[in-house]
Amino acid sequence: MFTRLSDVDRTFSLMDELRRRMDRGWDREEAYAPRALSQPTWPLVNLFDTGAELVLTADVPGLAEKDIKITLDGETLTLAGERQIAALEGATCHRQERAGVKFSRSFSLPVKADAERATAEVKDGVLRLTLPKAPEARPRQIAVRTS
Amino acid sequence: MSNHTTLGKDEKAAPERVQQRAVTTPLVDVYEDKEGLLLIADLPGVTKDGVRIELEKGQLTIDARRADPPAGTLVASEYRAVDYHRVFSVPRDIDPAKIDASLTAGVLRLRLPKSDAAKPRRIEVRAG
Repeated sequence: MFTRLSDVDRTFSLMDELRRRMDRGWDREEAYAPRALSQPTWPLVNLFDTGAELVLTADVPGLAEKDIKITLDGETLTLAGERQIAALEGATCHRQERAGVKFSRSFSLPVKADAERATAEVKDGVLRLTLPKAPEARPRQIAVRTS
Repeated sequence: MSNHTTLGKDEKAAPERVQQRAVTTPLVDVYEDKEGLLLIADLPGVTKDGVRIELEKGQLTIDARRADPPAGTLVASEYRAVDYHRVFSVPRDIDPAKIDASLTAGVLRLRLPKSDAAKPRRIEVRAG
């Protein structure tokens, strides 16, 4: 009895497997499209809140300040630029993991920032963007009066 | 935010260095030409003092430590403050005395020149 049931199970699982393989076949075009042409997520960022300001850090090894265009439009922050990795002339390449990338990433900031006083620096391959919060977004202390 | 506690341990008191941070493999490019090997590694957030390169028994080890993240509350996170670690086997004909490393903008360039004996050479034919 048990043997028979497992036989049925096996048949069905084979059919499932067949269907899965066929589905994969149809999707092949999409699944194997070169990824380099699409926009990878680069650079990766972290956002910190220090109370009075927002600090955004991004890993941009090999880039300088001039390679990154930073725009702040209202609460939308955009980082754009290009990282070029040139292959070495006259040398054999054994391994290439670092890739050039043309990037443009936009972020919605949680609060309004003061674009006039924003500062950006690139140090040791890390972009550090300091965005002071707009006065109305800053935390404030409320004094409690005793009546 | 006012009662800030430092949870770090006293390094001198600890007999064993406990790994507290996550470790990742950095991305590298490896090239070879007549002069030797050139290894380029992305080490964002690492300063000159934070990187340690060792060559022992034909194994090249790169260890790098990221600088600490800025103060403040982490609102959105896509990466962590990790340390980098990667080991390569290098050919025996590398001259250990001539290895040169430089770190600019978070990119490490490590030049591993071949010893003179291993370099390709052209033999002149004398007319006898």
